[in-house]
Amino acid sequence: MYDLIILFVLLFLGYVFGQMAEKRHFRSIIKREDEYQSILTFAKRFPLNNDGDQRAELVGGNVVISVDYFKRFVATLRNLIGGRITTYESLLERARREALLRMKAEAHKKGLNTIVNVKLETASITKGNKNQVGAVEVYAYGTGLLSNHS
Amino acid sequence: MEFKNSKIPEGINVSNEHPLKNFVYLLLGVTGVIIIVLLVLFYAIGFVAKWVPFETEVKWAESISVSFERSSDSTQNGLFDALGLPNTDNNSDEHDEQYTLRVEKITVYLQDLADKLAVAQGLPEPIKITVHYIDQPVVNAFATIGGHVFIYQGLIDAVDSENGLAMVMAHEIAHVKHRHPIVALSRGLGLGVILSLVTGIGGDSLSSNLAGHVNLLTSLAFSRGQETESDIEAYNTLLEYYGHGLGSTELFSELIKTSQESSLPELLNSHPLSQKRIERLEKMGESTVIDCSSATFNCTLTLLPEFAQSLKE
Repeated sequence: MYDLIILFVLLFLGYVFGQMAEKRHFRSIIKREDEYQSILTFAKRFPLNNDGDQRAELVGGNVVISVDYFKRFVATLRNLIGGRITTYESLLERARREALLRMKAEAHKKGLNTIVNVKLETASITKGNKNQVGAVEVYAYGTGLLSNHS
Repeated sequence: MEFKNSKIPEGINVSNEHPLKNFVYLLLGVTGVIIIVLLVLFYAIGFVAKWVPFETEVKWAESISVSFERSSDSTQNGLFDALGLPNTDNNSDEHDEQYTLRVEKITVYLQDLADKLAVAQGLPEPIKITVHYIDQPVVNAFATIGGHVFIYQGLIDAVDSENGLAMVMAHEIAHVKHRHPIVALSRGLGLGVILSLVTGIGGDSLSSNLAGHVNLLTSLAFSRGQETESDIEAYNTLLEYYGHGLGSTELFSELIKTSQESSLPELLNSHPLSQKRIERLEKMGESTVIDCSSATFNCTLTLLPEFAQSLKE
């Protein structure tokens, strides 16, 4: 019986704090995306109108986000029947966008206005470790340029 | 060429569905499916396990008691050691001898009673009852696989007559007759396997929690339905053996009197409530009208032999 109580307390805590953190994070992401809207990012290897870049530097942003107990529990249930693990989808969306934002922040700090060859790497931090709530890492990197396009 | 960062539209990668709704659907769906699977398995095993030959059951019981013996490195009966019963070696030789004689006498008496009741109950051919006497004040008796029936001294003390004891004995024999122990064991094993499979698939957090709770539920050895079935069978055995059903409610009355009844509601109990059992037995008594004044019936209660009484009193 105590196990069940502990389980539900953990689920409750996971849900409340996890959802709070997620909502706050998304608000912050949307706000900062507006801030860095001037920094252009391209997946292409080379800038489109290469007419005199003044500087080129590697820029990157790295983020690690933990799964909460609730998300993990839902994912465990989902594992049994298959389908979209929506709780993880939002988690990874946050991680990707946050990593891109941090990359842009670095570019902004370095006075660069364009990033080309943007790539994303994803890693699960606690892979294979049982009884541990997992965490996901996303690393976004690219070549930051000071371009004359604007 | 002009470039600009357009705003990312929301709701493409992230589902708008409320996470709690998703969670409730999943939880209900998954537990529902698991419960259905377990229920189907529960009844399927109950159906199939009755056909396990009794000889096989005896072999299983032996292998279990052998493994107990090995683990407890004693020359005594393995099942007894496994039950954690006290060793009587500490007593002086003379006392010890007397004690052993007494235990033997009671065991022979109980075995004899069991054999007679088994005949009265019409126990089918290969099934044999082996009675074990346990000198402990616990008011308890139980039947386990291989036709082994355990009777505690506390139970003998709790009933007033042999009829009361015979009722309990016949009840346990009825469990064996209806193959309840093997069904319960098979169910426990079968459900355990399924649950560990679910544990394997579902990972750690969820299923290990659930598994513990279902194990608890299945460990309520026999179902109340089986207990009722055994009560009815036992009462009919008493009618057959003594010619009347008097004394059948002795133990239940004693349990109520000494309030050893668990206070849980019936649903959570392994046994039906004593009061209900008495009521049912009394109703059965009404339906089988016995004329005590007639010559064919002797409506007196048979007394327990004196040596079977507890020494402590």
